[in-house]
Formats: sequence, structure tokens, C-alpha cells
Amino acid sequence: MIRPLKTFAVMGGIVALLFGFFSLVYYGGDFLGTLTQEHAWLGGTHLVGQAIVNVLLLQLIFVMILATLLTLAERKWSAAMQNRIGPNRAKILGFTLGGLFHVVADAVKMLVKEDSIPAAASKFLYVLAPALNFAPIFCLFAIVPMGPPVLMGHGFAVTPQIANPDVGLLYLFGIASLAVYGVSIAGWASGNKLALLGSVRAAAQMISYEVALGLGLVGMMMAAGTLRLDQMVELQSHPLFGQSWLPAWGIFLQPVGFLLFFVAAFAETKRAPFDLPEGESEIIGYFLEYSGMKFGTFMIGEFVEVVTLAGVLTAIFFGGYHLPFGWDQQLRDGIATLVRARFTHNPVVIEPSTALTLAIVGATVFSLKVIVLCWVQLVCRWTFPRFRYDQIQWLGWRLLLPIGLVNVFVTGVCLLVDTSLDTLAVVGLIELLGCLGLVLWTVQPKVRATTQTPSAPKNLSAAAPAVAAEH
Amino acid sequence: MSDHDRKTDDPPKPAGYYNVPQSDEVGTAQERAYFPALIKGFGVTAAQFFRNFFLGRDTNVDVLARKGGNQIQTISYPEEKPVYPPGYRSMHRLVPREDGKPRCVACYLCATICPAQCIYIEAGEYPDDPIEKFPLRFEIDELRCVVCGLCVEACPKDAIRMDTGTHCKPVYDRKDIVYGIDRLLKGTAVSHESDVWFKRESSDPPPDTHAHPIPVLPIVK
Repeated sequence: MIRPLKTFAVMGGIVALLFGFFSLVYYGGDFLGTLTQEHAWLGGTHLVGQAIVNVLLLQLIFVMILATLLTLAERKWSAAMQNRIGPNRAKILGFTLGGLFHVVADAVKMLVKEDSIPAAASKFLYVLAPALNFAPIFCLFAIVPMGPPVLMGHGFAVTPQIANPDVGLLYLFGIASLAVYGVSIAGWASGNKLALLGSVRAAAQMISYEVALGLGLVGMMMAAGTLRLDQMVELQSHPLFGQSWLPAWGIFLQPVGFLLFFVAAFAETKRAPFDLPEGESEIIGYFLEYSGMKFGTFMIGEFVEVVTLAGVLTAIFFGGYHLPFGWDQQLRDGIATLVRARFTHNPVVIEPSTALTLAIVGATVFSLKVIVLCWVQLVCRWTFPRFRYDQIQWLGWRLLLPIGLVNVFVTGVCLLVDTSLDTLAVVGLIELLGCLGLVLWTVQPKVRATTQTPSAPKNLSAAAPAVAAEH
Repeated sequence: MSDHDRKTDDPPKPAGYYNVPQSDEVGTAQERAYFPALIKGFGVTAAQFFRNFFLGRDTNVDVLARKGGNQIQTISYPEEKPVYPPGYRSMHRLVPREDGKPRCVACYLCATICPAQCIYIEAGEYPDDPIEKFPLRFEIDELRCVVCGLCVEACPKDAIRMDTGTHCKPVYDRKDIVYGIDRLLKGTAVSHESDVWFKRESSDPPPDTHAHPIPVLPIVK
């Protein structure tokens, strides 16, 4: 009974840590924003200070640390899925901390390994390729809104979102498609035919799935009427059908769109079951000739992609920083009661304090959703068998593309009929129920008739006790 | 999952060809729907994850007797050591006498039978002891040892055994893995009624050794 308690204690600690971290994000944004605004540094607007804080805390700390921890989580969690223990030997002072020091060990190993450049490589491009691969992936998280904007009493709203361009999702598509250059150049510049083969596979796969990637989100763009992620998150705070308990999350409005986007984005991350570009057992992949930290950037880039995909999915399909089922409103009331009791002498700060606390809770909820979706991706990666190459292209062009087109058409019709999203929600729920029915339909598959004699196993089992008795 | 790669009019397979069924009857409609199978597979993996991640692991070294929902079957070796069956051949030891000296009489039988030739013995001689010989050096190169147990079988004095239940520890230097008497001589002392030093006072042959000549049987023609 000790183990579950320990696990839950650690999870509670992580939640508390996230809460503190996002407090830091909000207060840091407020602090540096005020500084840059009042002292007219770097152009004299609060946006600069906020951007610095957001890049430092969200991008370099939240995303990078989560991605680094995912390298460990992939090993520990896959071990749990396969009845293994996983890495637990790296110790400092006899403590393993659940294998946490393997992250440090890995990093040290990557950094001190020989960094060799093959003689046949095109030197400049060979060195450039890891950066070209990593930079676009790293930039993607910039548009993910981690929490709501909050007025913190200095005349501007603090937003834990690095950039909020009007093009929103188009930025996502545009930057994501740049990553293919890094992969292609890495394979070509290595001067190795297998690496080139891997990069060609990667390029073909990424270009194929970009179509489904875009089409998967078109429905949600139409429903929200915007490309900006913060507005999409805001849309999902409203309940469906007037005042029902069901929130207008993208997963309920656009389940098919979610599936399309998830599958396509999964293919973009080039992880199993779409890991044909790597193909460890046959061609190693486009990073075949890379060693040391150059390979490390490819590997960590994959995990950054996982985190980014989880963040985008959370923002578009899982309600962003909102709690479901009207808990948001209950939480707001509860916090307001507490704050009112605390600040009775100073009623001016009651409203900002309530908003800030709620925002920090929201950001924590967002990051928890991100972690859960990372877990979902890891379970997918360790469950599904890899596709054959022709099956990948078949899936992308002949299954996802038509479904995506039909989904856009259906969504358009629903929105024409009823602009209040209710019709769309009904269709979405029917689709979800259809999926559920499909799964339930197969819970007990019919036993197929076999031509073999069924008596053979019976004889075997009957003979076994007799043999045992003889001994 | 797809229709395009299913061939309905394949040429007949040659004899002896392992006939994998490739007709349209492969899989039920439920199986070919593919998506539900993904969900079910996800469920199986996730259930396994929760079971092994949240439930405490029973560290019983007898894996089959482990209890609880956790299905991890690993024996985490240095912390959990499996119990070896009786008769398991582990690291050698030189069996001591009651007085702490090795039982070994340096007869070279073990060194002779050793297929890996990993035993090296130098014999010394007692001036006035009933046993006459003893090992000055008795060394086993554990790297060369194939753990066959023939030395134990060959020993006429029960002086070498493989009952320590331990393994040869890894070392950084090859010299360190050649075990001498100082490291081999350990464990409980062993005595047998037939031990020479219980029978005779000195190394002189007992006076009645050849007192009774072997009787000559009459040859029957």
C-alpha cells in the first residue's frame, strides 16, 4: 500500500510545483513588463518584457524540461506497459529518485561523446541540419496559450503566451512544414545512402500528412470562426446546448477532425507507428551518421514535438485552460469567497486577485492536460505496430484525405444550418457514439469456425495430470 | 487494412509452400474495421501501465509466488537475489579442516581433470604430519573456469566444493580474478570419520597394514 501513496504524493507535488511555476510566470511577466514599460527599455512596451519572461519560462523551462523528462518517461512508462522496471541504476548518494538521474547521465553522455563528421559528408550542411530540424519544432510552441490574460494592476494584461499572431494556426502549419528541410538536409549531407533513404522517406511522409494535418483543423477553424488559438480556447469555455454540463470542447464538436489531426500530427513527429523514416531495424534513419549532441538534438526535437502536439491539441480540442462541466464557475466562486475574506480591508485588489488565482489554476490545468496527452502519445507509440510504407501513403492519401474533405463539408453544412454550434455538437456526439458503438460491437468477437479437430487440446490437458501423477 | 494489396487470383502455390490464408475470409468484419482494434489495444496497454505504475511491486524472489496486481516479474538482482536450487554449482571454495588448514592434500587430481586447465597447484610437504602433502599454492583462474564441477567430482578428500552460492565478482584487472588459498579457503569446516588424522598418530604406516596377506584362492580347473 506504500507505493500508491508515494505515487500520488509525487503527483500532488508535481501539481504544486506547476502551480508555483505558473505563479512565477504571471508575476515575472508583470514585473519585467512593468520594467520595460516604465523605463522605456527595448522599445518601451510591456510586450517586450513579457516576451522575454515567456520565452525563458515557457519555452526554455516548461517545454524543454518536459521534453527532457519525456526521454525518461518514455523508458519508464514503456517499461510499466511491458511488465518491466525500466532504468533505475543511476544513483546519487544512493538515491535513484525513480531513475531521474538517467536524464543527467544521458545529457552528460551526449555532450562528452565524440562528435565525428564523416569524410563523405557535406560539412556545412551536415552541421546545419540538426539546427534546421530543431529550430522550427522549437518555435511551434510559441503560439500555444498556456493561460488566460490577466490585468495585474499595471495597466496591461499579462499573458503566458509567447506570440499571438492573427494567422494563428497558419503559423503552425507554415513552421511545421519547415522541419522537413532539416530532415532532408540531414539525410543528404551525411553522405550515406541509408541516411538519404531515410530522409527521402521522411520528406514523403511529412509532405503527405501535411494535407491531412491542415484538413483536420479546418473544421475547428470554421466552428470557431478564427485562426487565433486564444479565441479558440475562449470558445471552448461556453457550455453546449445553452446551459448543459457538456463544455463546447473541440473533441465534442469535431471528433473526426481531432482524429485526423492527431494521426497526421503523429505522423509528423515521425514516431512509431509512423517511424518509417527511422526504421531502426533496416535503415536506421536520416540521423544515421550523427553522434553526440547533434544526434541528441534530433532526439530531443522528437520529444519537443510531442509536447508541442500535446499543447496544440489541448488548446484546440481539450478546452485549453478551462475546466469542464461548469467546474470553472464553481472554482471562480470558491476562490472569490476566499479572496474576499483575505482582502476585506482592500476591496480594490479583490477582483484582480481572483482573476490571477483562477488564471494560475487554469495554466496548471493546461499543463496537466498537456502531460496527459503526452502520456496518450507514448501509449500509442508503444502499442501500435508499425505501418508498411505503402500503408502509410495509403492511409494518408486514400483514407485521411477523403475523410477530411467530407468532414469539412459536413461541418460547413452544420454551420450553415445553425450558427450556434448546437447542430455541429449533435453531429459530433453522434460520431463519438458511433466510434463507441464500433468498439462495443467488437468487444466479444465471434469465434471463427475452424476445420481443425477441437479434440487435440483436450487430450493434451487430460494427459498432463496423468504425467504429473507418474512423477 | 486495405483492399488494394489483397490479391484474389493468385497463382497456385508450389507444393510445400507454407500457405498463409490470404483470401477475403481473413479476419472478421470487426477485425477489419481496424479502428476498434486500435482502441482495444490502447486499453490493454493502458491497463497494464496503470497496474504496474500505481500498484506496489512484490519483491518476492520466488516470481511465481508474487502477489498483488502488479505484474512486473523482474528480479532486481543485487537487491533481490534468487534462491538457487540445491546442487547449484557456484563459486569454488577450499574446504577447511577443524584446525583451519585446507583439507587439500595436493594430489593434483582436480588440476588433472579440469578441462579448462584453470587450477594451478604447488605442493608442499609436512616433515612429520600424517598427511604428508599440502598445497603451497592453490590457484583457480575463475575467468577460465567453465563451472563444470569435475574438480569437485575428482577430489578424493572432499577438499573442494562449489557450494558458496555466490558468483565470481567482476574485477578491473585480470590478475585479481585468479583466486588463491587466501580467498578460496572459507566456509564451514568439514570432517569425516575416514579422515586420516583421526586414525593415525604419525605418518608411519600402521603396523598391521600388510599383516594379513591377500588370500590366494585355489584355481579351479
